[in-house]
Amino acid sequence: MLDVMGDGGEYGAARAATLEELLAATAAGDRGAFSLLYDQTAPRVFGLIRRLLVDAAQAEEVTQDVYLEAWQTAARFDPARGSAVTWLLTLAHRRAVDRVRASQASRERDLKTGMRDLDVPVDEVSETVEVRIEHERVTGALAGLSEVQRQCLSLAYYDGCSQSEIASRLNVPLGTVKTRLRDGMIRLRELLGVTT
Amino acid sequence: MNRTGDPTEPERQDASLHELAAAYALDALDEFDRARFERALAASPQLRAEVDAFRSAATGLSDALPAVAPPASLKTSLFERLDEVPQERAADASAAPSTRAEERQSGSSSIADRPSDGGSIDELAARRGRRQRTVLLAAAAAVVLIVGAVVGVNWAGPNGWGVQREIAQLAEAPDAERVTQQVDGTEVTLIWSAEEERSAVIAEGLPDVGGDRTYELWYIDESGAVSAGTFDVRDDEAWRILEGEFRPGVVVGITVEPAGGSPQPTTDPLVLFET
Repeated sequence: MLDVMGDGGEYGAARAATLEELLAATAAGDRGAFSLLYDQTAPRVFGLIRRLLVDAAQAEEVTQDVYLEAWQTAARFDPARGSAVTWLLTLAHRRAVDRVRASQASRERDLKTGMRDLDVPVDEVSETVEVRIEHERVTGALAGLSEVQRQCLSLAYYDGCSQSEIASRLNVPLGTVKTRLRDGMIRLRELLGVTT
Repeated sequence: MNRTGDPTEPERQDASLHELAAAYALDALDEFDRARFERALAASPQLRAEVDAFRSAATGLSDALPAVAPPASLKTSLFERLDEVPQERAADASAAPSTRAEERQSGSSSIADRPSDGGSIDELAARRGRRQRTVLLAAAAAVVLIVGAVVGVNWAGPNGWGVQREIAQLAEAPDAERVTQQVDGTEVTLIWSAEEERSAVIAEGLPDVGGDRTYELWYIDESGAVSAGTFDVRDDEAWRILEGEFRPGVVVGITVEPAGGSPQPTTDPLVLFET
Protein backbone atom coordinates (compact mmCIF):
# COMPACT_ATOMS: atom_id res chain seq x y z
CA MET A 1 0.00 0.00 0.00
CA LEU A 2 3.05 2.23 0.28
CA ASP A 3 3.05 3.02 -3.38
CA VAL A 4 -0.27 4.76 -3.16
CA MET A 5 1.32 7.27 -0.86
CA GLY A 6 3.85 8.00 -3.55
CA ASP A 7 2.93 11.63 -3.94
CA GLY A 8 4.82 12.23 -0.73
CA GLY A 9 2.62 15.06 0.40
CA GLU A 10 2.82 16.73 3.73
CA TYR A 11 0.73 14.01 5.30
CA GLY A 12 2.55 11.12 3.66
CA ALA A 13 4.32 10.60 6.95
CA ALA A 14 1.83 9.83 9.62
CA ARG A 15 1.22 12.74 11.93
CA ALA A 16 -1.81 13.73 13.84
CA ALA A 17 -4.00 15.76 11.57
CA THR A 18 -7.69 16.47 11.81
CA LEU A 19 -9.99 15.01 9.18
CA GLU A 20 -10.71 18.56 8.06
CA GLU A 21 -7.00 19.15 7.44
CA LEU A 22 -6.72 15.86 5.59
CA LEU A 23 -9.67 16.77 3.40
CA ALA A 24 -8.16 20.17 2.64
CA ALA A 25 -4.85 18.51 1.70
CA THR A 26 -6.79 16.01 -0.44
CA ALA A 27 -8.27 18.93 -2.34
CA ALA A 28 -4.73 19.97 -3.21
CA GLY A 29 -4.00 16.53 -4.66
CA ASP A 30 -2.18 15.03 -1.68
CA ARG A 31 -2.69 11.27 -1.97
CA GLY A 32 -1.02 10.57 1.34
CA ALA A 33 -3.60 12.75 3.07
CA PHE A 34 -6.40 11.08 1.13
CA SER A 35 -5.08 7.68 2.16
CA LEU A 36 -5.13 8.66 5.84
CA LEU A 37 -8.56 10.18 5.42
CA TYR A 38 -9.78 6.95 3.88
CA ASP A 39 -8.29 4.80 6.66
CA GLN A 40 -9.91 6.89 9.35
CA THR A 41 -13.35 7.19 7.80
CA ALA A 42 -13.96 4.19 5.54
CA PRO A 43 -15.33 1.84 8.25
CA ARG A 44 -17.93 4.40 9.16
CA VAL A 45 -18.82 5.25 5.56
CA PHE A 46 -18.95 1.58 4.61
CA GLY A 47 -21.02 0.78 7.72
CA LEU A 48 -23.65 3.30 6.69
CA ILE A 49 -23.73 2.17 3.08
CA ARG A 50 -23.95 -1.49 4.11
CA ARG A 51 -26.91 -0.64 6.31
CA LEU A 52 -28.71 1.02 3.40
CA LEU A 53 -27.82 -1.36 0.61
CA VAL A 54 -27.42 -4.73 2.36
CA ASP A 55 -25.93 -6.28 -0.79
CA ALA A 56 -22.18 -6.34 -0.12
CA ALA A 57 -21.04 -6.02 -3.73
CA GLN A 58 -23.26 -3.00 -4.35
CA ALA A 59 -22.16 -1.45 -1.06
CA GLU A 60 -18.50 -1.77 -2.07
CA GLU A 61 -19.18 -0.24 -5.45
CA VAL A 62 -21.02 2.72 -3.95
CA THR A 63 -18.33 3.19 -1.30
CA GLN A 64 -15.69 3.42 -3.98
CA ASP A 65 -17.84 5.93 -5.91
CA VAL A 66 -18.23 8.01 -2.76
CA TYR A 67 -14.47 8.24 -2.24
CA LEU A 68 -13.85 8.97 -5.90
CA GLU A 69 -16.34 11.79 -5.65
CA ALA A 70 -14.66 12.96 -2.43
CA TRP A 71 -11.29 12.97 -4.21
CA GLN A 72 -12.75 14.89 -7.12
CA THR A 73 -14.75 17.45 -5.21
CA ALA A 74 -12.81 17.88 -1.96
CA ALA A 75 -12.27 21.53 -2.92
CA ARG A 76 -15.96 22.12 -2.30
CA PHE A 77 -15.69 21.18 1.35
CA ASP A 78 -16.30 24.20 3.53
CA PRO A 79 -15.44 23.62 7.22
CA ALA A 80 -17.71 26.51 8.17
CA ARG A 81 -20.69 24.44 7.07
CA GLY A 82 -20.02 21.19 8.92
CA SER A 83 -17.42 18.57 9.78
CA ALA A 84 -15.45 16.46 7.31
CA VAL A 85 -17.29 13.37 8.55
CA THR A 86 -20.65 15.00 7.90
CA TRP A 87 -19.49 15.96 4.43
CA LEU A 88 -18.41 12.40 3.64
CA LEU A 89 -21.48 10.80 5.17
CA THR A 90 -23.71 13.19 3.25
CA LEU A 91 -22.12 12.02 -0.01
CA ALA A 92 -22.42 8.41 1.13
CA HIS A 93 -26.05 8.60 2.22
CA ARG A 94 -27.17 10.37 -0.91
CA ARG A 95 -25.43 7.94 -3.24
CA ALA A 96 -26.64 4.88 -1.38
CA VAL A 97 -30.22 6.16 -1.31
CA ASP A 98 -30.08 7.00 -5.00
CA ARG A 99 -28.97 3.44 -5.64
CA VAL A 100 -31.78 2.02 -3.51
CA ARG A 101 -34.36 4.13 -5.34
CA ALA A 102 -32.98 3.39 -8.79
CA SER A 103 -33.26 -0.34 -8.30
CA GLN A 104 -36.69 0.07 -6.73
CA ALA A 105 -37.89 2.23 -9.60
CA SER A 106 -36.92 -0.23 -12.29
CA ARG A 107 -38.43 -3.06 -10.30
CA GLU A 108 -41.67 -1.16 -9.80
CA ARG A 109 -41.89 -0.20 -13.44
CA ASP A 110 -41.45 -3.82 -14.46
CA LEU A 111 -44.27 -4.74 -12.13
CA LYS A 112 -46.51 -1.96 -13.37
CA THR A 113 -46.01 -2.93 -16.98
CA GLY A 114 -46.66 -6.59 -16.29
CA MET A 115 -49.36 -6.67 -13.69
CA ARG A 116 -50.53 -3.33 -12.54
CA ASP A 117 -53.09 -4.36 -9.98
CA LEU A 118 -50.76 -6.52 -8.03
CA ASP A 119 -51.48 -6.16 -4.35
CA VAL A 120 -48.54 -4.82 -2.44
CA PRO A 121 -48.16 -6.31 1.03
CA VAL A 122 -48.82 -3.45 3.42
CA ASP A 123 -46.96 -4.56 6.49
CA GLU A 124 -43.38 -5.53 5.93
CA VAL A 125 -42.41 -2.77 8.28
CA SER A 126 -41.64 -3.95 11.73
CA GLU A 127 -38.42 -5.84 11.26
CA THR A 128 -36.75 -3.08 9.25
CA VAL A 129 -37.64 -0.37 11.72
CA GLU A 130 -35.68 -1.97 14.50
CA VAL A 131 -32.25 -0.44 14.60
CA ARG A 132 -29.48 -1.57 16.83
CA ILE A 133 -28.38 1.38 18.85
CA GLU A 134 -24.77 1.27 19.93
CA HIS A 135 -23.57 4.74 20.51
CA GLU A 136 -24.47 6.11 23.90
CA ARG A 137 -24.88 9.71 22.93
CA VAL A 138 -27.15 8.79 20.11
CA THR A 139 -28.99 6.30 22.25
CA GLY A 140 -29.64 9.11 24.66
CA ALA A 141 -30.69 11.47 21.90
CA LEU A 142 -32.93 8.96 20.18
CA ALA A 143 -34.54 8.18 23.52
CA GLY A 144 -35.50 11.84 23.64
CA LEU A 145 -37.65 11.41 20.53
CA SER A 146 -41.17 10.12 20.55
CA GLU A 147 -41.65 6.56 19.37
CA VAL A 148 -43.30 7.65 16.12
CA GLN A 149 -40.59 10.23 15.41
CA ARG A 150 -37.89 7.63 15.99
CA GLN A 151 -39.67 5.23 13.67
CA CYS A 152 -39.90 7.78 10.84
CA LEU A 153 -36.30 8.94 11.21
CA SER A 154 -35.10 5.34 11.21
CA LEU A 155 -36.99 4.45 8.06
CA ALA A 156 -35.61 7.53 6.33
CA TYR A 157 -32.01 7.44 7.46
CA TYR A 158 -31.27 3.76 7.98
CA ASP A 159 -33.54 2.30 5.31
CA GLY A 160 -33.43 5.07 2.71
CA CYS A 161 -37.22 5.43 2.48
CA SER A 162 -38.72 8.57 0.98
CA GLN A 163 -41.51 10.37 2.82
CA SER A 164 -44.19 8.79 0.66
CA GLU A 165 -42.68 5.33 1.11
CA ILE A 166 -42.74 5.82 4.85
CA ALA A 167 -46.37 6.90 4.64
CA SER A 168 -47.41 3.81 2.72
CA ARG A 169 -45.34 1.49 4.88
CA LEU A 170 -46.76 2.84 8.11
CA ASN A 171 -50.16 3.40 6.55
CA VAL A 172 -50.37 6.97 7.81
CA PRO A 173 -51.05 10.17 5.83
CA LEU A 174 -48.09 11.78 4.06
CA GLY A 175 -48.65 15.01 5.99
CA THR A 176 -48.25 13.13 9.24
CA VAL A 177 -44.95 11.66 8.08
CA LYS A 178 -43.67 15.10 7.07
CA THR A 179 -44.53 16.51 10.46
CA ARG A 180 -42.94 13.63 12.35
CA LEU A 181 -39.74 13.82 10.30
CA ARG A 182 -39.43 17.53 10.69
CA ASP A 183 -40.25 17.65 14.40
CA GLY A 184 -38.03 14.63 15.01
CA MET A 185 -35.07 16.22 13.23
CA ILE A 186 -35.51 19.50 15.08
CA ARG A 187 -35.58 17.62 18.36
CA LEU A 188 -32.56 15.53 17.39
CA ARG A 189 -30.68 18.65 16.42
CA GLU A 190 -31.34 20.09 19.87
CA LEU A 191 -30.49 16.89 21.69
CA LEU A 192 -27.20 16.55 19.85
CA GLY A 193 -26.40 20.18 20.46
CA VAL A 194 -26.09 21.12 16.79
CA THR A 195 -26.13 24.87 16.39
CA THR A 196 -27.80 26.43 13.40
CA MET B 1 -52.42 24.33 -15.90
CA ASN B 2 -52.42 23.66 -12.23
CA ARG B 3 -50.26 25.10 -9.54
CA THR B 4 -49.83 23.82 -6.06
CA GLY B 5 -48.83 27.19 -4.71
CA ASP B 6 -49.90 30.65 -5.63
CA PRO B 7 -46.85 32.37 -7.12
CA THR B 8 -48.07 35.70 -5.81
CA GLU B 9 -47.52 34.48 -2.27
CA PRO B 10 -43.77 34.09 -1.92
CA GLU B 11 -43.94 33.95 1.86
CA ARG B 12 -46.10 30.88 1.81
CA GLN B 13 -43.76 29.24 -0.67
CA ASP B 14 -40.78 29.94 1.54
CA ALA B 15 -42.54 28.42 4.50
CA SER B 16 -43.37 25.25 2.61
CA LEU B 17 -39.80 24.94 1.29
CA HIS B 18 -38.44 25.58 4.75
CA GLU B 19 -40.45 22.62 5.97
CA LEU B 20 -38.75 20.35 3.46
CA ALA B 21 -35.24 21.02 4.78
CA ALA B 22 -35.17 18.22 7.37
CA ALA B 23 -36.44 15.60 4.94
CA TYR B 24 -34.00 16.87 2.32
CA ALA B 25 -31.09 16.42 4.73
CA LEU B 26 -32.26 12.83 5.27
CA ASP B 27 -32.52 12.27 1.49
CA ALA B 28 -36.18 11.48 2.14
CA LEU B 29 -37.78 13.85 -0.34
CA ASP B 30 -39.55 12.35 -3.29
CA GLU B 31 -38.04 13.30 -6.66
CA PHE B 32 -40.29 16.25 -7.39
CA ASP B 33 -39.87 17.84 -4.00
CA ARG B 34 -36.14 17.23 -4.16
CA ALA B 35 -35.90 18.93 -7.53
CA ARG B 36 -37.82 22.01 -6.48
CA PHE B 37 -36.04 22.17 -3.14
CA GLU B 38 -32.59 22.03 -4.74
CA ARG B 39 -33.59 24.73 -7.13
CA ALA B 40 -34.51 26.99 -4.22
CA LEU B 41 -31.47 25.93 -2.22
CA ALA B 42 -29.07 27.27 -4.80
CA ALA B 43 -30.38 30.76 -4.13
CA SER B 44 -31.02 30.69 -0.40
CA PRO B 45 -28.30 30.91 2.26
CA GLN B 46 -30.98 30.46 4.95
CA LEU B 47 -32.12 27.15 3.52
CA ARG B 48 -28.50 26.05 3.21
CA ALA B 49 -27.75 26.82 6.84
CA GLU B 50 -30.86 24.91 7.81
CA VAL B 51 -29.84 21.89 5.72
CA ASP B 52 -26.29 22.00 7.06
CA ALA B 53 -27.54 21.83 10.64
CA PHE B 54 -29.87 18.95 9.87
CA ARG B 55 -27.05 17.10 8.12
CA SER B 56 -24.87 17.44 11.19
CA ALA B 57 -27.73 15.99 13.23
CA ALA B 58 -28.14 13.15 10.72
CA THR B 59 -24.44 12.36 11.18
CA GLY B 60 -25.38 11.65 14.77
CA LEU B 61 -27.78 8.99 13.52
CA SER B 62 -24.92 7.24 11.75
CA ASP B 63 -23.04 7.08 15.08
CA ALA B 64 -25.56 4.44 16.07
CA LEU B 65 -24.45 2.11 13.30
CA PRO B 66 -21.61 -0.38 13.68
CA ALA B 67 -18.47 0.55 11.75
CA VAL B 68 -17.62 -2.06 9.12
CA ALA B 69 -14.15 -2.24 7.63
CA PRO B 70 -14.34 -2.52 3.84
CA PRO B 71 -12.13 -5.13 2.16
CA ALA B 72 -8.55 -3.98 1.56
CA SER B 73 -9.00 -4.51 -2.17
CA LEU B 74 -11.45 -1.63 -2.21
CA LYS B 75 -8.78 0.88 -1.23
CA THR B 76 -6.31 -0.56 -3.71
CA SER B 77 -8.65 -0.27 -6.66
CA LEU B 78 -9.84 3.15 -5.48
CA PHE B 79 -6.30 4.51 -5.57
CA GLU B 80 -5.69 2.88 -8.95
CA ARG B 81 -8.60 4.90 -10.29
CA LEU B 82 -7.55 8.30 -8.96
CA ASP B 83 -5.70 9.11 -12.15
CA GLU B 84 -8.90 8.67 -14.15
CA VAL B 85 -10.75 11.39 -12.32
CA PRO B 86 -9.50 14.96 -12.58
CA GLN B 87 -9.76 16.90 -9.35
CA GLU B 88 -11.68 20.12 -9.14
CA ARG B 89 -9.52 22.93 -7.89
CA ALA B 90 -11.00 25.59 -5.69
CA ALA B 91 -10.62 28.07 -8.53
CA ASP B 92 -12.13 25.57 -10.97
CA ALA B 93 -15.50 25.79 -9.34
CA SER B 94 -16.40 28.32 -12.01
CA ALA B 95 -13.74 27.65 -14.63
CA ALA B 96 -13.89 24.15 -16.04
CA PRO B 97 -16.11 24.52 -19.07
CA SER B 98 -14.37 22.02 -21.28
CA THR B 99 -14.65 18.95 -19.05
CA ARG B 100 -18.17 19.87 -18.08
CA ALA B 101 -19.11 20.30 -21.69
CA GLU B 102 -17.74 16.89 -22.55
CA GLU B 103 -19.61 15.36 -19.67
CA ARG B 104 -22.84 16.85 -20.81
CA GLN B 105 -22.32 15.92 -24.43
CA SER B 106 -21.65 12.32 -23.57
CA GLY B 107 -24.93 12.68 -21.73
CA SER B 108 -25.03 9.35 -20.00
CA SER B 109 -25.78 10.36 -16.45
CA SER B 110 -28.82 8.72 -14.99
CA ILE B 111 -30.54 10.08 -11.94
CA ALA B 112 -28.80 7.52 -9.83
CA ASP B 113 -25.34 8.34 -11.13
CA ARG B 114 -25.41 12.05 -11.19
CA PRO B 115 -23.09 13.51 -8.63
CA SER B 116 -24.86 14.60 -5.49
CA ASP B 117 -24.46 18.11 -4.26
CA GLY B 118 -22.32 16.90 -1.41
CA GLY B 119 -23.01 19.92 0.70
CA SER B 120 -22.11 22.39 -1.98
CA ILE B 121 -25.28 23.57 -3.53
CA ASP B 122 -23.50 26.39 -5.27
CA GLU B 123 -22.66 23.78 -7.81
CA LEU B 124 -26.11 23.93 -9.35
CA ALA B 125 -25.83 27.64 -9.92
CA ALA B 126 -22.26 27.31 -11.14
CA ARG B 127 -23.26 24.60 -13.58
CA ARG B 128 -25.94 26.84 -14.97
CA GLY B 129 -23.38 29.54 -15.63
CA ARG B 130 -20.95 27.16 -17.31
CA ARG B 131 -23.67 25.72 -19.46
CA GLN B 132 -23.84 28.90 -21.50
CA ARG B 133 -20.40 28.20 -22.96
CA THR B 134 -21.44 24.84 -24.31
CA VAL B 135 -24.39 26.21 -26.18
CA LEU B 136 -23.07 26.27 -29.73
CA LEU B 137 -21.68 22.79 -29.50
CA ALA B 138 -24.92 21.51 -28.05
CA ALA B 139 -27.01 23.08 -30.77
CA ALA B 140 -24.82 21.62 -33.47
CA ALA B 141 -25.06 18.18 -31.96
CA ALA B 142 -28.82 18.42 -31.69
CA VAL B 143 -29.17 19.33 -35.35
CA VAL B 144 -27.06 16.37 -36.38
CA LEU B 145 -29.21 14.14 -34.22
CA ILE B 146 -32.39 15.44 -35.76
CA VAL B 147 -31.31 15.43 -39.36
CA GLY B 148 -30.22 11.86 -38.89
CA ALA B 149 -33.53 10.79 -37.48
CA VAL B 150 -35.85 12.63 -39.84
CA VAL B 151 -35.26 10.32 -42.78
CA GLY B 152 -38.11 7.95 -43.40
CA VAL B 153 -40.72 9.52 -41.17
CA ASN B 154 -44.05 10.85 -42.42
CA TRP B 155 -45.02 14.48 -42.12
CA ALA B 156 -48.22 13.90 -40.24
CA GLY B 157 -48.71 11.96 -37.05
CA PRO B 158 -47.40 12.40 -33.56
CA ASN B 159 -43.75 11.91 -34.53
CA GLY B 160 -44.08 13.30 -38.02
CA TRP B 161 -41.93 15.77 -39.89
CA GLY B 162 -44.04 18.65 -38.67
CA VAL B 163 -43.01 18.14 -35.09
CA GLN B 164 -39.49 17.17 -36.06
CA ARG B 165 -39.04 20.32 -38.10
CA GLU B 166 -40.29 22.42 -35.20
CA ILE B 167 -37.86 20.70 -32.86
CA ALA B 168 -35.04 21.15 -35.36
CA GLN B 169 -35.82 24.87 -35.48
CA LEU B 170 -35.81 24.99 -31.71
CA ALA B 171 -32.43 23.25 -31.67
CA GLU B 172 -31.07 25.85 -34.08
CA ALA B 173 -31.91 28.74 -31.76
CA PRO B 174 -28.70 30.58 -30.88
CA ASP B 175 -29.05 29.72 -27.21
CA ALA B 176 -30.37 26.16 -27.64
CA GLU B 177 -29.11 23.56 -25.21
CA ARG B 178 -29.51 19.82 -25.04
CA VAL B 179 -29.06 17.11 -22.42
CA THR B 180 -29.50 13.36 -22.86
CA GLN B 181 -30.17 10.99 -20.00
CA GLN B 182 -30.36 7.22 -19.88
CA VAL B 183 -33.57 5.75 -18.50
CA ASP B 184 -33.41 2.00 -18.09
CA GLY B 185 -31.19 1.69 -21.12
CA THR B 186 -33.28 4.01 -23.27
CA GLU B 187 -32.37 7.57 -24.15
CA VAL B 188 -34.37 10.68 -23.42
CA THR B 189 -33.16 14.04 -24.70
CA LEU B 190 -34.37 17.47 -23.66
CA ILE B 191 -33.73 20.44 -25.93
CA TRP B 192 -34.53 23.94 -24.76
CA SER B 193 -34.13 27.56 -25.66
CA ALA B 194 -34.73 30.40 -23.23
CA GLU B 195 -35.10 32.85 -26.12
CA GLU B 196 -37.73 30.73 -27.82
CA GLU B 197 -39.32 30.04 -24.42
CA ARG B 198 -39.86 26.47 -25.51
CA SER B 199 -38.49 23.02 -24.85
CA ALA B 200 -38.90 19.62 -26.50
CA VAL B 201 -38.41 16.01 -25.59
CA ILE B 202 -37.13 13.24 -27.82
CA ALA B 203 -37.43 9.75 -26.38
CA GLU B 204 -36.07 6.67 -28.04
CA GLY B 205 -36.85 3.17 -26.88
CA LEU B 206 -39.26 4.03 -24.07
CA PRO B 207 -41.84 1.25 -23.66
CA ASP B 208 -45.40 1.78 -24.90
CA VAL B 209 -47.43 2.09 -21.69
CA GLY B 210 -50.68 0.97 -23.34
CA GLY B 211 -54.03 2.62 -24.03
CA ASP B 212 -55.05 3.26 -20.44
CA ARG B 213 -51.88 5.08 -19.49
CA THR B 214 -49.75 7.83 -20.95
CA TYR B 215 -46.48 9.68 -20.41
CA GLU B 216 -46.89 13.15 -18.97
CA LEU B 217 -44.43 16.04 -19.06
CA TRP B 218 -43.97 18.51 -16.21
CA TYR B 219 -42.42 21.90 -15.67
CA ILE B 220 -41.33 21.99 -12.03
CA ASP B 221 -40.25 25.01 -10.03
CA GLU B 222 -40.32 26.11 -6.39
CA SER B 223 -44.10 26.30 -6.44
CA GLY B 224 -44.59 22.75 -7.70
CA ALA B 225 -45.26 20.83 -10.90
CA VAL B 226 -47.29 22.12 -13.84
CA SER B 227 -48.37 19.76 -16.61
CA ALA B 228 -46.69 20.40 -19.97
CA GLY B 229 -48.80 17.88 -21.90
CA THR B 230 -48.86 14.14 -22.46
CA PHE B 231 -47.33 11.88 -25.07
CA ASP B 232 -47.42 8.29 -26.19
CA VAL B 233 -44.64 6.26 -27.71
CA ARG B 234 -45.09 5.12 -31.32
CA ASP B 235 -42.64 2.86 -33.06
CA ASP B 236 -40.29 3.08 -30.10
CA GLU B 237 -39.96 6.82 -30.21
CA ALA B 238 -41.65 10.04 -29.25
CA TRP B 239 -41.05 13.66 -30.26
CA ARG B 240 -42.88 16.31 -28.33
CA ILE B 241 -42.77 20.07 -27.89
CA LEU B 242 -43.75 20.84 -24.30
CA GLU B 243 -46.92 22.83 -23.74
CA GLY B 244 -46.60 26.08 -21.88
CA GLU B 245 -43.74 28.49 -21.53
CA PHE B 246 -40.21 27.34 -20.83
CA ARG B 247 -38.39 29.47 -18.28
CA PRO B 248 -34.65 29.02 -17.67
CA GLY B 249 -33.83 27.10 -14.52
CA VAL B 250 -37.06 25.14 -14.49
CA VAL B 251 -36.85 21.38 -13.98
CA VAL B 252 -38.49 19.15 -16.59
CA GLY B 253 -39.84 15.77 -15.51
CA ILE B 254 -41.64 12.82 -17.11
CA THR B 255 -44.05 10.49 -15.32
CA VAL B 256 -46.45 7.73 -16.30
CA GLU B 257 -50.08 8.73 -15.64
CA PRO B 258 -53.57 7.36 -16.32
CA ALA B 259 -54.79 8.00 -19.90
CA GLY B 260 -55.58 11.66 -20.43
CA GLY B 261 -52.97 12.77 -17.93
CA SER B 262 -53.20 14.00 -14.35
CA PRO B 263 -53.40 17.53 -12.98
CA GLN B 264 -50.51 16.67 -10.63
CA PRO B 265 -47.97 13.87 -10.92
CA THR B 266 -49.15 10.65 -9.26
CA THR B 267 -46.03 8.55 -9.82
CA ASP B 268 -42.32 9.05 -9.37
CA PRO B 269 -40.62 10.64 -12.36
CA LEU B 270 -38.78 8.38 -14.79
CA VAL B 271 -36.35 11.19 -15.40
CA LEU B 272 -35.72 14.78 -14.34
CA PHE B 273 -33.78 17.40 -16.28
CA GLU B 274 -32.25 20.45 -14.66
CA THR B 275 -32.05 23.40 -17.02
